[in-house]
Amino acid sequence: MAKDIKISIRNLYKIFGPTPDVALEYVRKGMGKADLLEQQRHVLGLRDINVDMHDGEITVIMGLSGSGKSTLIRHLNRLIDPTAGEIRVDGEDIMSYTEEQLRKLRRERMSMVFQKFALLPHKTVLENAGMAKDIRGYTTSDFEADARKWLARVGLEGNEYQYPHQLSGGMQQRVGIARALVSDAPIMLMDEAFSALDPLIRSDMQDLLLELQEELKKTIVFITHDLDEALKLADHLVILKDGEVVQQGDPQEILLNPGDPYIVDFISDINRARVLRVRSVMSPPDDGDSEFAGDISEKDNLESVLLKSEGDMSLNFRVVRDDQHVGTLHMKDLARALVPTAASADRSKTAA
Amino acid sequence: MATYDSLFSSLGLEQWCSEGKSSGPMSMADLLNKNKGESAEPASIWELPFPSMDALNESCAAFPQSRELTKGLEQGFLAIKDSLSLVLDPLTQPLSWFLDGALYAMLNTPWWIVIPLLLAVVFVVTKSWKLMLFVGGSIVLLAFIDHYDYAMQTLAIIFVCAFLCVLLGVPIGIAMARSNSLQRMIIPVLDMLQTLPPFVYLIPLIFLFSVTESKLYGIAIILYAIVPVIRLTNLGIRLVDKDVIEAADAFGMTPRQKLYKVQIPLALPNIMAGVNQTIMMSLAMVVIASLVSAPGLGVLVLRGIRNLELGVGLVSGLGIVILAVILDRVTKASLARINVSQKQ
Repeated sequence: MAKDIKISIRNLYKIFGPTPDVALEYVRKGMGKADLLEQQRHVLGLRDINVDMHDGEITVIMGLSGSGKSTLIRHLNRLIDPTAGEIRVDGEDIMSYTEEQLRKLRRERMSMVFQKFALLPHKTVLENAGMAKDIRGYTTSDFEADARKWLARVGLEGNEYQYPHQLSGGMQQRVGIARALVSDAPIMLMDEAFSALDPLIRSDMQDLLLELQEELKKTIVFITHDLDEALKLADHLVILKDGEVVQQGDPQEILLNPGDPYIVDFISDINRARVLRVRSVMSPPDDGDSEFAGDISEKDNLESVLLKSEGDMSLNFRVVRDDQHVGTLHMKDLARALVPTAASADRSKTAA
Repeated sequence: MATYDSLFSSLGLEQWCSEGKSSGPMSMADLLNKNKGESAEPASIWELPFPSMDALNESCAAFPQSRELTKGLEQGFLAIKDSLSLVLDPLTQPLSWFLDGALYAMLNTPWWIVIPLLLAVVFVVTKSWKLMLFVGGSIVLLAFIDHYDYAMQTLAIIFVCAFLCVLLGVPIGIAMARSNSLQRMIIPVLDMLQTLPPFVYLIPLIFLFSVTESKLYGIAIILYAIVPVIRLTNLGIRLVDKDVIEAADAFGMTPRQKLYKVQIPLALPNIMAGVNQTIMMSLAMVVIASLVSAPGLGVLVLRGIRNLELGVGLVSGLGIVILAVILDRVTKASLARINVSQKQ
């Protein structure tokens, strides 16, 4: 997929403390997070981050708390300024922006959804949804139609004149998403947007986001600490640990070839059959003599194929895209892909 | 002689001490000592006096007595008084006009206009029929026992002073919330204003302004009552949810938009709590300010104290209680209305 790079982060460092520039030198020489805190009394936020975020994709940044993911997303609209490094949006270096340019960027090109919703408690749902337009100087009558449309799209028709405190958490976050959509910004930053919601509602909201994305093709940067959520949403997955990128790339690829014991730990207890998709496991079409038990799509997850095969490991399936034969899935490969990574790591060690 | 003689002689200051001899008038203690005709015996350690200004003066006449301190302060104040009032007089003149105007308007508008007007205001602010009836009943009761004029004078003064407190206090509170160094500077001043006994304000004010001018008590009331509205505005703005402020920044609000669209509306419950406190403190001070010619129910209280007219004092005290209850209920009810619309 040769899509344009929308946001590009190069050699980004962030150090918290009274003299970050001094501490930066130590970090560049290789001092670790714990040593920096102990010897220099500075907190290492981010170290040498390089990420490209493509236009129209969902980039998920995942890490545990303290890994620096919330710090990273706040650099994209400069709610936090970096200690060193470069951030480019649409090819422009936003570090060189004046205050006025930065405000324009935040008003027109980026919107943000927050973990704790951060709605204005004294404004109605409609006014909250139109907040971005209101800031730009439009009156309520200007943005009312737009706001109503997006509120209806996220499932809040009829709630326009209620106040945020009258809504449940899930509904409040729908207002938060509508607020980001009404701003018409091409980039959406989502800071643990669904983490405060209970699991069922969270799953609903993820589906809603994917559905909206199908239609709108925005550039979404999504922060989460939940691997299942990350795998469900991500086109590009970035895994952060202690302020450093541990691995980034296609989530299927990361799942099949984890590059770090930290990630192995991480992915050891997810349901691989549900997350892995046919396209990551299939072989090229061999036109051979093999008999096909049926047709499947490359987007199907392995769980649905397992269901189809009824557990028969000797079967082969034909993988079809737009009625074309693009590959073959051997059930044996499927079974191999489902072996937990920890075990496969051990196996490769003994083989070597 | 006195206890600390040796101190001065050891320092070689005898010459200097004797120069200042017999300058001040004789103190009562000296006179008594002289009458008794006994010189101080070498005192035991138990009677060693603290080396205070007066004790040192006994040993060395050139050393100032502590009464020179109060005298010096007084003279210093009198020396700058003229130039100070030259600046403050015109600056505070509008306060006199407001107070006189409000008193004139309250007393010269017939009661059958003022009472319905007050009730209308109460209803608009609180939207409660019950409270309006209560306020109406209270005012009618006060009017029936011929305390209407006094009560209206007190109310007029409170309205003017509380209004000015809010007008000055809210911007000061906002400025404090925005700058930590300003907060560090203002907080000691607020602490001082709050802890100084109210009578103490009155002394320098009497020197600065003429007692016949209404701004004298106006300033005393404002200084006393402005503290809570400043404190709670500052607190309210500092307590605004950080996440909402971050959202405001992320969507590109200017600092001015942030102030008017986010900070002030979200701090409003706290600001209104400050206004409530300010009004109650104005009422407390308006009674004390009757010492410096503030009209109203306080004058009657003062008469009750001075002439030991128990009945007059008690009835006017009851009037003040009624006013206090009215003002408190009305401001609390409007505060509650704001709180309901702001629940998180």
